[in-house]
Amino acid sequence: MDVGTHSERLFKFNLPFKLPSSTVLRAAGVYLSGILYSVGFWFLVDASIYSKTVNASIVHVTFVDWIPGICSSLGMFVVNSIDKNRLFNDSLNGSGGGGLSSFNGGLSSTSWYARLILFFGFSLLAGGLAGSVVVLVLKFLMKDFNTYPTLGMGVANVVCNSCIMLSCIVLWISQNIEDEYSYSLVL
Amino acid sequence: MITINPLSKIICLSIILAFGFLLIVLSCAVYNNWRPLSVIGIFLVAPIPNAVFGKLDNNDFMNESTSSVPDFGKFLTGFLVLSGLALPLMLYHSLLITRNAMLMSMGGGFLVYLTIITFGTFFHEEDDEF
Repeated sequence: MDVGTHSERLFKFNLPFKLPSSTVLRAAGVYLSGILYSVGFWFLVDASIYSKTVNASIVHVTFVDWIPGICSSLGMFVVNSIDKNRLFNDSLNGSGGGGLSSFNGGLSSTSWYARLILFFGFSLLAGGLAGSVVVLVLKFLMKDFNTYPTLGMGVANVVCNSCIMLSCIVLWISQNIEDEYSYSLVL
Repeated sequence: MITINPLSKIICLSIILAFGFLLIVLSCAVYNNWRPLSVIGIFLVAPIPNAVFGKLDNNDFMNESTSSVPDFGKFLTGFLVLSGLALPLMLYHSLLITRNAMLMSMGGGFLVYLTIITFGTFFHEEDDEF
């Protein structure tokens, strides 16, 4: 599959390393997404245990701080449990062989539902991130807890939700790499 | 390519494994604080998802939905490996263990995981040769 780098030389300089194949890239992406999710999760757990043990302030991590993380995780689960072939292929194949409806961009009902659920999942993810910022502002900044060890518990919440969102994006991208790869294999 | 006797490979790996366990147990016993011991559990569980879900990949690759099952195993593996590293860090950040205990348990856990992975690939090569 090394077309362009070895058989036909396009550039004067070859890369000193081989570009990783799409399967390797995809595996690395999935591992990376697991690692990112883990980072986010442990930031949240760290904040809550820190607030229990060495917290000198009167602010404590309560269930409110966990809600954005739960929303993000739920959104990630929803987004990644959708079969991605349902999203795009149905609009190309037409809905049940109806020529005119596919010409007009009409979608079959499964594709429509898939997109609706995808939108729901992404809005859960975005809502989790926004909710963590809301917790940071309302619980920490508005009440003048600006010094760092206390503020760190709010910042950890934002970091956690950004990590979960990033993990979801990485997982999505790496699974789409595989889709193109298998597509070329089938053809 | 250097060929090593398989028996000496196994002996080397077991020594490294024992050293990893020793580091973790020391990190608990020296400070009489047995919280870092859970790192062992995480790193022992970490290779399992890949081993279990990876076997399901071999059905047939034309099927659309098979590829997402090993993905879940990889995701869990990444999650667990980083959990094993993050747990001592978190305990240190909450001042539940000392810094030396954190370093020892992280290093020990990583050695244990590395040994298991090396062992797995070692047997995998053995399968390919036959």
